[in-house]
Amino acid sequence: MGALIVALPKGRMQDEVVNLFRRAGYAISPDAASGRKLVFESDDGALRFILAKPADVPTYVEYGAADLGVAGEDVLREGGREVYEPLGLGLGKCRLVLAGPPEARTRNLRLEPNLRIATKYPRLAREYFQQQGLSVEIIYLSGSIELAPVVDLADLLVDLVQTGSTLRENGLVELETIMTSQATLIVNRASHKLQLRVINEIIARLAAQIGS
Amino acid sequence: MATSEPTLRHQLPHGLTDLFGEQAAAKTTLEDVLQATFRRWSYTRIIPPTFEYFDSIATGASPQLLDEMYRFFDREGRMLALRTDMTVPTARVVGAKLYDQPLPLRFYYIGNVFRHEEPQAGRRREFTQAGTELIGAGTPEADAEVLAVVVDALQAMGVAEFQINLGQVAYLKGILAGGRLDNGELYRIEQAISRKNDVELAQVLTALGITGDAGRAVRAIPHLCGGEEVLDEAECLAVNAAALEAIAWLRRIYALAQALGIAEHIILDLSEVRSMAYYTGITFHTYVAGLGFHICSGGRYDGLIANFGADLPAVGFALGVERIMLVTRPQVEIAPQVLIQTNDRADGYGLAALARRRGLRVEIEALGRRGSDLLTYARERSAKYLVVCEGAGYYTLSDGAAHRIVTRAEIEKEIAAWAL
Repeated sequence: MGALIVALPKGRMQDEVVNLFRRAGYAISPDAASGRKLVFESDDGALRFILAKPADVPTYVEYGAADLGVAGEDVLREGGREVYEPLGLGLGKCRLVLAGPPEARTRNLRLEPNLRIATKYPRLAREYFQQQGLSVEIIYLSGSIELAPVVDLADLLVDLVQTGSTLRENGLVELETIMTSQATLIVNRASHKLQLRVINEIIARLAAQIGS
Repeated sequence: MATSEPTLRHQLPHGLTDLFGEQAAAKTTLEDVLQATFRRWSYTRIIPPTFEYFDSIATGASPQLLDEMYRFFDREGRMLALRTDMTVPTARVVGAKLYDQPLPLRFYYIGNVFRHEEPQAGRRREFTQAGTELIGAGTPEADAEVLAVVVDALQAMGVAEFQINLGQVAYLKGILAGGRLDNGELYRIEQAISRKNDVELAQVLTALGITGDAGRAVRAIPHLCGGEEVLDEAECLAVNAAALEAIAWLRRIYALAQALGIAEHIILDLSEVRSMAYYTGITFHTYVAGLGFHICSGGRYDGLIANFGADLPAVGFALGVERIMLVTRPQVEIAPQVLIQTNDRADGYGLAALARRRGLRVEIEALGRRGSDLLTYARERSAKYLVVCEGAGYYTLSDGAAHRIVTRAEIEKEIAAWAL
């Protein structure tokens, strides 16, 4: 067996996750991980890391292009990809919330036939409103969701928040928490079956570092 | 009159494909190999119709599979559906028609099934399933036989290295037997197990009030995977007779697998709970290195046939032929071995017939080409030999490099040699 391939989310969480692997005993030289390289290896060659767009990590893992990966639960539920999720990493904690202008607090959403919701998470948003029995129009945006209510593109928004400061800065308030999310280790089903021992060891070493 | 309306005439709906040439030939070869293997285990073919009443096809289906079903209506307004697998139609045939035949019944099938899902790893919205059903034998012996047929079929197709993860849903269902869960609740537990998501599983169990020993046993399931020691562990965790019985059953299968010489391919894996909703006993998935998806799956479905009449236990498996083609692709020659220009002479057609009887692929020139045009075509088609019937008992034989004039006796000798 060659190196196991681990897909990491490029950007915000990248350094934290690389450091977690380091603490778990996988030495990764600073040169390898800090540059612009999209592919780098642990010093012992056991793990090959690839950097992917966070929303794409589950896709790499489901197809087996990567054996393991790190993805937020929000991304996992939105994508509906079939992968194992053996370990929450305790990183990148955030919430998926319904938010809007302060006056939305007093509105009875159930009585509004034509709510427009801006979101980057159309699937989760649709599921949520369906469960709530609300009829809404989902407007998919790929970023800067806070803008939508400000310019009347949408009444409300569904988006991920960490502290909520971006919402507040744009004069918006949280109305409801739809789900909480954290970075999660994911594993391709076939890889897990075929390389049980190696992958279980990785899981155990990471778990020991996060005390779960 | 010219029309500017867009036409779909040249397109295929998303998720469908055409196969031709070497791919179609390779698929046919795999199907032949599978059928030959199944017949050697004394399975006979069953050919159910492609569509049936929705009520039949939907029997035992999970909510997800119901969503993926292609449905339409007959002239009387009754709902029909394209089959989503071959097991349910087979169960209907057996339950409604074959219940008084000597048992057990052994059927194999090969046919297209239809699911409205995103194409993935060779599997499109119409794909070919091949598999077997062993009906009327609720024994570990029957389960072990199905596993042995899987091993035989994969090896016959040239898949050398693979792993069968063998689970037992009766273990989980046994542990939960006291809990009176509905299908939706059971599904949530199975989903958490099949994601190996410990946190989610713990939350679901707490929410459903499954605590204590039963909760502990269920939470261990995602990790019960490996060799025979898994069975010891599972036995220690078992909370009731049903769960113990489920493990004893697996132990017996494992012993039989050793006797059958297939144990090296089997991993005991109690986290194998995700599958068709109608499974009641063993379930399994087969994996090969280099493919992120399983290539074959199966299990025991003792309650399914009763929906159609007779209450018969059954076990079976299915594999997706297109997915197998991602792992092993038989090299199939499809070019003609002989191209014959008969010049419309009876002895030319007779020669072609002789070559076909010898088992050669023979193409008769149908566009009247001669000379260099014919040679060019023979090259384009990768025909190995070109024979031109010249009359008076003489033939020109070209093999790409040289031409020579030969007699009838000589050409017949050549053909006999090519057929070897």
